[in-house]
Amino acid sequence: MAVADKGLSGASAGSSILNDERYRSVFYQIVVFGLIAWTGYYLIANTANNLQSRGMSVGLDFLSGEAGFSIAWSLLEFKPNDSYFWVYLIGITNTLIVSFIAIILTTILGFFVGIMRLSSNWLVSNLAGWYVEILRNTPLLLQIIFWYLGVFSLLPRPKQSLDFGGAELFFLNNRGFYMPKAVPGELFWITVIAILVAIAGAIYLTHRSNRIQEATGEYHSAFWPSLALLIGLPLAVFFASGSPLGFEIPALKGFNFRGGGRIPPAMCALLIALVIYHSSYAGEMVRAGIMSVSHGQTEASYSLGLKPSWTMRLVIIPQAMRAIIPPMISLWMNVVKNSSLAIAIGYPDIVSVFMQTSLNQSGHAIEIVAMVMLFYMTVSLSISAALNVYNKHVQLKER
Amino acid sequence: MTDIQAPSDRELLIFKPKPSQPPPPATTGLIGWLRMNLFSSVSNTLLTVIGFYLIYLVASAVNHWGIELAVWNADTRRECLDQSPYGACWAGVFVWFNRFIYGRYPDLEQWRVSLTWVIFAAWMAPVWFPRVTSKVAIGLSAILIYPFLAGYFYLGGERNWFMEIMVSVAILSFVLCWAHVLLCLITGRGLGTTIISLSGYAGKHDKTHKYPIIAFGAVGFVIVYALISGWTLKEIGTNNWGGLFLTLVISGIGIAFALPAGIVLALGRRSKMPVIRVVCVAFIELLRSVPLITVLFMATTMFPLFLPEGLVFNKLASAIVAVCLFSAAYMAETVRGGLQAINKGQYEAAAAIGLGYWPMMALIIMPQALKLMIPNIVGSFIGLFKDTTLVSIIGLYDMLGMIKAVSQNPQWIGLHHEPLVTAAMIFFIGCFAMSKYSRHLEKKLGQGDRR
Amino acid sequence: MKKLSLLGLGAGLIAAVAFSAAPAQAESTLDIVKKRGHLRCQIGTPAPGFYNLKKDGSWVGSDVAVCRAVAAAIFDDPNKVEFQSVTSTVRFTALANGESDFLSRTTTWTLYRDTQLGLTFTTVNFYDGQGFMVPKDSGINSALDLKGATVCVLTGTTTELNLTDFSRTNKLDIQPVVFEDSNVRNETYLKGGCDAITNDKSGLASNKAGFPDPGAHTILPETISKEPLGPMVRKGDGQWFDIVRWTVFALVAAEEMGINQGNVASLAANPTSPEMARMLGKEGDLDKGLGLPKDWVVRVIGAVGNYGEIYGKYMGSKSPDGIGIARAGSQNDLWTKGGLMYAPPFR
Repeated sequence: MAVADKGLSGASAGSSILNDERYRSVFYQIVVFGLIAWTGYYLIANTANNLQSRGMSVGLDFLSGEAGFSIAWSLLEFKPNDSYFWVYLIGITNTLIVSFIAIILTTILGFFVGIMRLSSNWLVSNLAGWYVEILRNTPLLLQIIFWYLGVFSLLPRPKQSLDFGGAELFFLNNRGFYMPKAVPGELFWITVIAILVAIAGAIYLTHRSNRIQEATGEYHSAFWPSLALLIGLPLAVFFASGSPLGFEIPALKGFNFRGGGRIPPAMCALLIALVIYHSSYAGEMVRAGIMSVSHGQTEASYSLGLKPSWTMRLVIIPQAMRAIIPPMISLWMNVVKNSSLAIAIGYPDIVSVFMQTSLNQSGHAIEIVAMVMLFYMTVSLSISAALNVYNKHVQLKER
Repeated sequence: MTDIQAPSDRELLIFKPKPSQPPPPATTGLIGWLRMNLFSSVSNTLLTVIGFYLIYLVASAVNHWGIELAVWNADTRRECLDQSPYGACWAGVFVWFNRFIYGRYPDLEQWRVSLTWVIFAAWMAPVWFPRVTSKVAIGLSAILIYPFLAGYFYLGGERNWFMEIMVSVAILSFVLCWAHVLLCLITGRGLGTTIISLSGYAGKHDKTHKYPIIAFGAVGFVIVYALISGWTLKEIGTNNWGGLFLTLVISGIGIAFALPAGIVLALGRRSKMPVIRVVCVAFIELLRSVPLITVLFMATTMFPLFLPEGLVFNKLASAIVAVCLFSAAYMAETVRGGLQAINKGQYEAAAAIGLGYWPMMALIIMPQALKLMIPNIVGSFIGLFKDTTLVSIIGLYDMLGMIKAVSQNPQWIGLHHEPLVTAAMIFFIGCFAMSKYSRHLEKKLGQGDRR
Repeated sequence: MKKLSLLGLGAGLIAAVAFSAAPAQAESTLDIVKKRGHLRCQIGTPAPGFYNLKKDGSWVGSDVAVCRAVAAAIFDDPNKVEFQSVTSTVRFTALANGESDFLSRTTTWTLYRDTQLGLTFTTVNFYDGQGFMVPKDSGINSALDLKGATVCVLTGTTTELNLTDFSRTNKLDIQPVVFEDSNVRNETYLKGGCDAITNDKSGLASNKAGFPDPGAHTILPETISKEPLGPMVRKGDGQWFDIVRWTVFALVAAEEMGINQGNVASLAANPTSPEMARMLGKEGDLDKGLGLPKDWVVRVIGAVGNYGEIYGKYMGSKSPDGIGIARAGSQNDLWTKGGLMYAPPFR
C-alpha cells in the first residue's frame, strides 16, 4: 500500500524531492526545452556560417526579381517578366484548383465505390473490391505516369480534335480540353451579387422550414422555393442588366487552338489519377461507415413505418456520416499533398514551379522551401480546424 | 423404411418429419448461384453485363500488348522495335532485371544482399512455428540485432571494434535462435532449459540458473569472434546501392524507426507537461501537413547547410532521415488513435495497482492499443513502402530511379513502359501480401473480443 | 526503455553510415584524395553519351572518362573513382560542401556560376548548343516557324530560360510544357503532345536515336544558345584546379600529336618530338607543379585513350555505346581540323 501511495501522490511525506512528480516534470521540460533550443541554435549558427562562406544571402528580396521562365498553364495570367512572388501565387492557385476539383470528384466517386462494394451483385462487389486493392497497393507516382502516358497522350492531335456536340465549342485533343471562356461585361457584378443573395435566401428558407418542423411537427419542403430562388433571381437580374456576358470561342490557329478556356492534358491526367487513387480509400471509408450503423437501426426505422429511401436518408446516412467524415477529411488533406506529384508529368503546381524551377534559377533554398511548407501547412491546418469544429458538432451527446 | 414396417408402440410416439423437398432447381448449383448473385434483377443483370464487358476490354488490351505482340528476346531496344513496334519489349526487363533489384551493386557481390534477405526470413520464421517458446525474444533479436549483420553485409569493408562485436553477437544470436528452435521442435525443451539440465544446475537454486547460460553465451561469443576475425567482405559504398534493395533499405529503416518514435511522440502529445506536449504537437503537425516530396527536397537542399563546415551528410542518409521523420509523425497519429480507444478505466486500474507511468504504458495500455492499431500500422507501412518511390525524384537510384537510368542507356534508350509495369506488379504483390496478412492478424488477435 | 534504446540505436546507425570525413581546410584536395585512396567524382543523372549505366552497373560515358582520367593520373588506376550521381538541383552544393572532389557533368560555363558559387570552371571538354527537334512531316524548317507552338522542355536547367528568351526575342509566343523526366517528355512529343522538343543538341541526337522511327524527326539548324560544358572544381585550390584542367588538355594534346591508347607505351619509350617527350615525362619536369608522378600523361592515355578515342566511343556512331553525333566539322573537332578543341602547349 505504501508503494501505491507514493506512486499516486508524489508529494507524500518521506519521499525525496527527486521522486516528487511536480519537480520531475519541471526538470524534464527544462531538459527538453534546452535540447530543442540548443539544436535550433546549432543549426542556425551552422547555416549562417555556411551561407557566409559560400557568399549566399538569406532574405525575401529575390521575390521581387524577374522570374524569366514561362509557365505552361495557369489560372491567373503569367508572363516571363513577372516576379518570383507571382510565380508563388500561380503555383498556389494551380495546386488549389486541381486539389479542389479532385476532392469533390473523389468524394462522389468514393460513395459510388463504397456502395458498389456493398452490392448484392457478386461480380460488381468483386470488381469494386479488386479496384480498391489494385489502386491502394501500387504507388501513386506510377499511376499518374500511367494515366498521362497511357491515356491522355493517346488523344488526337489538334488538327484532328474531337469536337463535342458538333457545335465547334468544346474540343478535346492531346493539348488539352478546350471550351468557351466566359468574359464578364461591365455590369456583371450585379448578377454576382444576385447569386449571393439567392444563396443566402435559400439557406434562410431551409432553416425556417426546419424550425417550423421542430416547433409544430408539420413538414413544409423548402426545396422547390429555394430552387426557384436560386435559379430565378440571378437569371432575372442578369437579363434585366442587359446580359453582360460574352463568350470567347476556341479556334484552331497555327499549331494550337487559341482563345477560350483550356485544361491541359497533364491536369486532366493528374486529376483522374488523384481521383481514382483516392476514391479507393474513400470507398473503403464509406463502406466502413455504412457497415458501422447497426442493422437494428434499419429495422427500427422500418417498424416506425419509414420508407426505405427515408430510412437511408434520415436514419442510416446521418449516423454513417459521423464515421465517414473524419477520415474523409484527412483524405482530402492527402489529396492536396499528393497533388505535389504533378511534378512528374509537368503540371505546374507549386512544387514544380516554385520548389523546382524557381529554386534552381534563384538558389534561395531556405526561403523557398519554407514558403512552400508554409503554404501546405496553412491548407492542412485550416482543413483540420474545420474537422475539429465538425467533430465537436456531431460528437455523440452522452448523458 | 424397416422401422415403419415393424412399428413398436414406443416408436409410434416419435414425430417423423417428411424428408424435405429438394430446393427448386433454379436456386441450386451453378445456375442458382448465377441467378442469385449476378442476374437477380434487371438492373443487376445490366451491371453484370457492363462488368463483364469492362473485364473483356482490359484483358484483351493487356493480352494484345503484353503477350501477343510482345518481344521476349532481343539485345537492344532497336531490335525490339524492329520485331514489333507496338508490343511490349520484355527482353529489356530480363536483361536489366538484376539492376532493378540490386541497383549498381556488383554482380559478384549480390549474393550478400540475397543472403541477408534469406537470413531475415529464417530469423523471423520461427515466430510462426508452433511449439516454439520465447517467440518475443526471437522477434526482438531479429529486429534489434539483425540490422548490424545486414548493415555489414551490405557495406562490407573493415570492421571497427564495435562492428566486430555486433556482427559476432548477431551471428551468435542467429545460431542460438535456430538451435533453440530445433531443440524445441525435436525435444520440446528450449535451449535454456537444455543447458541448465546438461550443466547439472537443474537441481540448484533458481537464481543460479543464469550462470551456465551466461557462460555458454560467452564461450559462444568468443568462438564466433575468433572465427570471423580474419574475415572481411569487399567494401561496397552506398552510392552503389539501388533498385528494390534500396527501396527496402529506406522503407525498412523508416518502418523500424517509425514505430518506437511514433509511440514516444504519441505519448508526448498526450503528456501533461506543456513543453513536451507543444514540441510533439508542433513536430507532428508540421510534418503531417506537408507532402513527403517537400521534406525530401528540404533534406537534399537544406541539410547540407545545417551541418558544420567540413561535415558531409550523404544523399542516402539525408533521404533516410527525411523518411524517418516523416513516417514517425504519421505513426504518432496512428498510435494516438489507438491510445484514445483505450477505456479510461484501464488507466485508473493500472494506477490503482500501483504501476508507474512507464510500466503502465508498457504492460497495460500499449499492448491493447497496438492490437487495435494493427490494420492502421500496416496501412502506414504500406504507405511508406509506396512513398519511397519519391526518392527517385531527388536522384536516388531506387527501383524507379534505376528504371529511369536504364531508359538512358544508348542501346535501350526509351525503354520505359515495361519496367514500370514490372515495378507496379512488384509493388502490388508486396503491398497486397502485407494488407492480407494484416487482416489475418487482426482476426487472429481479435478472437478474444468476439462475442 | 526499450523504445529509447531503439531510438538511440537508429540514430547511431544513421550517424555511422552518414558521416564521412570531409576535407579539412588546410589540406590540399590532392592530399585528401590520395589519403582516401579513391577519387569522388560528381556526375549527373544518366544522360546518353555523357554518363550512363552499363548492364553490369558500371558508369560509362565521355564525362565519366574524364573522371577516370584524373583517377589514372593520381592512382594509375582508372577504377579508383567513386561516382556520385546527383540531380542538377543540388550539383553545386554537393561540390561546394566537399561531398565531391570535382564535377564532371554537363554544366554550362557561365559568368554567374564561375564567380558567385565559390566554384570555378577548369576548361571546356564539350561544346554544345540548344536546338529544336521536330517531326519531319511537320513542314517546319526553321526555329522561327515555331510561332505559337507547344514545346516540350526539361526543368531544372538553363534550357527552360533559353527557350523563354528565344521566344521573347523573336515574339514567337511559344508555350512550354515542362517535364521532370525525359522519357515522359519524349513520349509526349512522339504522341504529338507538343510540336517540338528543345534540349542541348547532343541530347536531342541521342534521344532521337531511341525513337521507334528516328528518320521521321529532324533537328532544326538553329542553335539558340552557347553551351560550353566542362569540369568544375572548388575555388581556392590552385593545384587541384590545374590537375583537372591539364588532364583534359592532355587528352586533347594527345590526339593532336597522334598518341592513343595503343601506342602510348611505345611512344613514351621513344618519343618522336621534344614536346611529346616533355608531355610523356621523358624529358623535363613538367609534373612538378601538379604534384603528380612523371608519367601521369602516359597513365591517363593508357587508361582512357585520347580525346578523339573517347569521343568516338561514347559520342560517335560506330561503337555500341555511342549516340551518333558527327564530329567532323563541329566545334568539338580539333583546332587543326576547324574545331575549337585546343590545348595550350606542354612546355
